[in-house]
Amino acid sequence: MSEQDILNAGAESPALEAWRMFRRNIPALFGVVMLTVIVAATLYGTFFYSGDPFEIVWAPHEVPGATPEFPLGTDYLGRNIVAGMLTGGGPTLAVGAAAAAITMVIGIALGALAGYYGGWVDNLLMRITEFFQVLPALLFAMVLVTLLDPTLTTIAFAIGVVSWPQTARLTRAEFLKIKELEYVTAARAIGARNKRIIWRVILPNAMPPLIVSATLTIGVAILFEAGLSFLGLGDPNTMSWGLMIGANRDYILDAWWPVTFPGVAIFCTVFAVSLIGDGLNDAFNPKLRER
Amino acid sequence: MSALLQINDLRVTFRTRYGEVTALDSVSLHVNAGETLGVVGESGCGKSITALSVMGLIPQPPGKIAGGEILLNGEDLTKVSEARMRGLRGSEVAMIFQEPMTSLNPVFTVGDQIAEAIMLHQKVSADQAMKDAIALLDRVGIPSPDRRARDFPHQLSGGMRQRVMIAMAVSCRPKVLIADEPTTALDVTVQAQIFDLLNEIQRDFGAAIVLITHDMGAISEMADRVAVMYAGRVIEDASADDVLDMPLHPYARGLINCIPNLGRDDDSLAEIPGVVPPLHLLGAGCAFADRCAHKAPRCAVEKPLLINHGHHPAACHAVEEGRL
Repeated sequence: MSEQDILNAGAESPALEAWRMFRRNIPALFGVVMLTVIVAATLYGTFFYSGDPFEIVWAPHEVPGATPEFPLGTDYLGRNIVAGMLTGGGPTLAVGAAAAAITMVIGIALGALAGYYGGWVDNLLMRITEFFQVLPALLFAMVLVTLLDPTLTTIAFAIGVVSWPQTARLTRAEFLKIKELEYVTAARAIGARNKRIIWRVILPNAMPPLIVSATLTIGVAILFEAGLSFLGLGDPNTMSWGLMIGANRDYILDAWWPVTFPGVAIFCTVFAVSLIGDGLNDAFNPKLRER
Repeated sequence: MSALLQINDLRVTFRTRYGEVTALDSVSLHVNAGETLGVVGESGCGKSITALSVMGLIPQPPGKIAGGEILLNGEDLTKVSEARMRGLRGSEVAMIFQEPMTSLNPVFTVGDQIAEAIMLHQKVSADQAMKDAIALLDRVGIPSPDRRARDFPHQLSGGMRQRVMIAMAVSCRPKVLIADEPTTALDVTVQAQIFDLLNEIQRDFGAAIVLITHDMGAISEMADRVAVMYAGRVIEDASADDVLDMPLHPYARGLINCIPNLGRDDDSLAEIPGVVPPLHLLGAGCAFADRCAHKAPRCAVEKPLLINHGHHPAACHAVEEGRL
C-alpha cells in the first residue's frame, strides 16, 4: 500500500463524497425530513380527506379547533381548510418542480452554448439573456399567464421563462472557467468533438453549483406560483396554497386562519428546500465551510 | 527523404494588445518513425505552441497559422478540415500534458476515460473498450489495473496519473506522440520511470516521440536528435550527442553549461544572464543578442539564419564568421 493509498483510504467518487458530507449536515437532513413529510402529506393526504376541496361543507369562518371535523376551520365560503391544504400542496409542488426543470433546461442549454463557443454566439445569447433579465419577472409572468390561459402547465412555463437568465449566467460562468482547464484541452487532444466536450467533459464538472441553484430555484418557483395565485392569476379550477391565500386575503382581519395555514405551508416548503440547497452547497464545496 | 512528421517554415502569430506578435517564426522540424526528437528551450520560447500547432489546438482567434506547413505522412495539417483533424487527433497524433494532476477529468474513473478515448476512434463495444483500457493500464505499469481502473484521478499519485495519461495517449496507437514536459511536475525518481516507460512504449508501438522539455538531462536520456528553440525560432538542430558534446550556438552552450556536473570541481553553476525577451519587443536582429557574450554590431540588425556552418546547423553570426 503506497502513501497515496493511505491518504486516500476511504476516498470515493466525488458524488459519494458529497453525499457523505451531506449526511453529516443536520439542518440539511432536517430539510429533507420536512420536505418528505410535506410531499407525503400532499400525496397521501387525500386518503383521509377525500372529496372536493372547493365544496362548501360548513358555515364560513369556523374557528380552528371548534369543530373536530374541521381542525383548521373553514374559509370565507365555508370550505374545509384541511382539505384545501392537503389537495393544494400537490399542484403547488408540481408547478415549483416543473418550473425549476424548465428553468434549468433553458438556462443550462443557453449558458453552455454561450460559455463554450464565446464570440458572436456568446454575444447574441447574452443580449437575449439581458433582455429577459431587465423585464420585471412577476409582471412578465403575469402577462404570459394572462395571454395563455392559466393552467398548471402554462403557469410552470411562465415561471420557467422568466427565471432562466440567472441559471444561464451561472452556467456560462462555469463553462468559461472550466473550458480553460487542461483536461478539456486533453479531451480535445484525443479527438473528442465539441458536443462531447460540452456534455461529457464540462457539464459534469459544472454540475455542483447548478444542482444547488436548481434546488433554490424550486423554492423561488413555489413562491412565484403562490404570488401569481395570490394576485388571482392562478388556475382557478385547481386548489393550491397560493389560491387559498389569494381567495381569503380580503377577510384576513376577520379570520386569520384561512390565510395563515397555507402561508405556513409555503414557508415550510421553501424553508426545507433552502436548507437542502445550502446542505448541497456545503457538500460540494467543503472548503467554503471553514470560513 | 520524407519524414513522418515534417514542419516547414511554420509561422504562428497571435493577436494581442501589443498588436500582432509572432510566436513561431519559420520553424522547421522533422521526426522519423521510431525516433525521438527533443525540443529544448526556456519557458516562452515557443515549444508548446509548436506542439499545439501540430495537434491543431492553437486557439484561433487570437492565434493564427500565418504560414508554412505541417506534413504528417505528406498530409498538410494546416489545411485539413476540423473534422479530419479531429479524426487524426488521438489516432495519428497524440499528446501527453505537463500536469497530470489537472489533465484528467476529475468526475470520471480513469478506466472510463481511457475506454472513451478508445471508443472515439475504434468501433468496439463498451465492454471491450474497458478490457482494452485495463490491458493498457497494465502495460504502463499500474499495479492491479482492474481495481485501479475504477479509481478517480484524485485517488492516484502524480506518477500514476502520468502513466494513465500515457495509456490514454497510446490507446489508439498514434504514429506521433508529443510529450509536453511530461515529467516536470513529478519527483526525480518518478521522472526516470516515466522516461523508461516512454522508451518501452516507443519500442513496442514504433511511435515517433516529440519530447518537449527544458531539462537537458531528459534530452541526454531520451532524444536521438535535438532542436534548440529560442524566442520562437529553431536556433540549432543536430543529433543529441552533437548538441550535448559540441553545442555551437551561444544559447545552446549556455544551456549545456547550466547542467550541474557532479564530477566538476568548482561548485558554481554557469547561468545565462537575462531572460527571453518579450515576443512583441523582438527587433530586426538576433533575439539572443542582448544576452550574448559574443555579440557583434551585425547581430543587432540582421537575423541569423539556420544554416549548416560546418558541423551541424545553427543560427548564429558568430558561428558563421568563425568567431566561435
